[in-house]
Amino acid sequence: MNRSRFSLLLALLALTGAAQAADSVPLQIELPKPLFAGTPRPISLPNLEKPRTGKRPDLMVPAGTINLSKGKTVTSSDSLPVIGELTFITDGDKSGTDGTYVELGPTPQWIQIDLGATAKVAAVAIWHFHSQARVYHDVVVQVSNDAAFKTGVTTIFNNDDDDSSKLGKGTDQAYIEGYEGKLLDGKGAMGRYVRLSSNGNTSDELNHYCEVEVHGSLVK
Amino acid sequence: MFASALRRWLPLALLTLLAFGLRTYELERRPLHADEANQAVKTGELVEHGRYAFDPRDHHGPTLYYAVLPLAWLRGETTLAALSETTLRLVPALAGTCSVLFLFFLARSLGFGPAFLAAALMAVAPASVYYSRYFIQETLLVSFTLAATLATQRWWQSGRLGWALAAGVALGLMQATKASAPVFVVCALAAALVFARRRPATPHLSRNLALIFGTALGVAALFYSSFGTHAAGLRDAVATYTFTSARAAGDSGHEKPWWYYATLFGWEKNGGLIFQQVGFCALAFTGALLAFATRQTLLRATAVYTLLVFLALSLPPYKTPWHVVHLVPGLAVLAAGTLALIPWRTLAVIATASLLFLQFNQTQLVAFLREADARNPYAYVHSSPDVLKIRALAQAALAARPAGAIRIISEEYWPIPWYLRSFPAGSVGYWSTPPADCDGALIIVSAAQASAVRARLHGDYHESFLGLRPGFLCVVFTPVPPTP
Repeated sequence: MNRSRFSLLLALLALTGAAQAADSVPLQIELPKPLFAGTPRPISLPNLEKPRTGKRPDLMVPAGTINLSKGKTVTSSDSLPVIGELTFITDGDKSGTDGTYVELGPTPQWIQIDLGATAKVAAVAIWHFHSQARVYHDVVVQVSNDAAFKTGVTTIFNNDDDDSSKLGKGTDQAYIEGYEGKLLDGKGAMGRYVRLSSNGNTSDELNHYCEVEVHGSLVK
Repeated sequence: MFASALRRWLPLALLTLLAFGLRTYELERRPLHADEANQAVKTGELVEHGRYAFDPRDHHGPTLYYAVLPLAWLRGETTLAALSETTLRLVPALAGTCSVLFLFFLARSLGFGPAFLAAALMAVAPASVYYSRYFIQETLLVSFTLAATLATQRWWQSGRLGWALAAGVALGLMQATKASAPVFVVCALAAALVFARRRPATPHLSRNLALIFGTALGVAALFYSSFGTHAAGLRDAVATYTFTSARAAGDSGHEKPWWYYATLFGWEKNGGLIFQQVGFCALAFTGALLAFATRQTLLRATAVYTLLVFLALSLPPYKTPWHVVHLVPGLAVLAAGTLALIPWRTLAVIATASLLFLQFNQTQLVAFLREADARNPYAYVHSSPDVLKIRALAQAALAARPAGAIRIISEEYWPIPWYLRSFPAGSVGYWSTPPADCDGALIIVSAAQASAVRARLHGDYHESFLGLRPGFLCVVFTPVPPTP
């Protein structure tokens, strides 16, 4: 390959990269108000993720990414929650106040969002409960085209370090709930269903969800 | 004759069984509150080594600890490690069951029906059930107060020395349970004396009173002196009032508005859960008003006693929810009095059944469905269910590193010592600030100190979270096994 052809190839590669970069945009998420009522207890640097100052780093997602989960059907391992309704999870209200979250029973529980069609998942944002500093145990987020999650399962987040939920051992870090929620990179996982599991939290044995947003694009 | 007695007493026997069942069902399911754990470890010292010394600064009276002894022996638990939550909580559970019976006999002058109803309302009262399953002194104090009132009532009416003696013993047990006992004695005396229509039956009043007072003093002295083995306990039994009054006056972190106890009998929606005793409270309030419209002395005295106790508990800024158990017997008698006065039988039956159902429903919520939930008004700064994982964590850590240490580094750590009670003392240590050497087989650190500890650790550690109680998080450090 002579020098001119090599230069041409480099130029083409650079142009392709630039075009791809232009297609990526920061994911815009509307955040609720912080909900720590009263004076918070002195909890400093409790997060296993390095404590962050300033704005959360942007998560870059393909242009055209939309919230696919808004208003979509949600099912759960606890089909009759004592508090709240499963519809709260995708109703767009992530304020976290009473009457905006659903409470699932103790032991590992999951919720599942049916996106209606196969989608390429760019990001998942989760608000379990953010009116108190707490950590949800064994959080696992999976995507699949199989509603039973038996085949073709892609795990995009798993911090169940001892496999107590029997979904495989995870290495992701635990995190403290906050008004910003937890923003996960969907890594382009393909599937119609998104399932989120948890196993109680540091305050009680229950599992809560204010809101879950699945961002991505439907596969034509 | 037998059939008639059976018809009469069978309902009471069944009620007692219900009260006992509610108070003893799955006693181990709720994690130990910090106060319970602290007292449990102190009890373990008594069970295992026979050692007990009254601490006037941070602990209440000795009866709770000594009452565990016979149960522990019966259940074959002779060490701290063997001691179980069930054995510990059986003490208030049995006391709570006895309270129901005491209230029935105390209210007998209202008639069998109202007395039975008062006992039934107490049997299913949310606060009474909840704190009868809670290893603290309050339910014992209620039980001894009711026993003392009952014995005094019987002595007053019959003049029999046996009742005077029983009253003295019960008063002594009250004093040996909690320093606040005189508050309830004074309230009961004030209420009784205002409405006493007859003079006491005994012709030897001063001798009888001396017997009651002497017996009470003797019983209390026995317990505070650790049955004669710790004389300083007698001095401390008096000294404790210095600390108690300082606590009651404020600056304890438990200051609340004066109406706090009333709110526990009202209506509260918290996090989607509804806690209410409006019907019970409304009937009791009506009962208090009716008491003065009728000639029923017991109802009047109960109304005054309950009001005085409410004021005595509400005026000091120091308030904790377990004190409401002292209001339940009075409210139950007053509510039963109202129901008994309903002239239409069908309405009375419907109102009674509805009230019992609502109260039972609330008891189910607070004592069984959300027993350690931060929204539950009785689960006061309660330990998180996460603490139940600590024993397994420690076992796994020491199995991996038998020579390693378990380090608890936190400004607050109860109830952890209870859950680590079976591990050798040399393998578990507690620090309120990070020590120079933080490494160990398992390190549980309050979130506030996690970064300081992390900086002092050598080697790789896996980190996870553990909740000590709502809002108080700990970081758990476990060494990462070396890669083969």
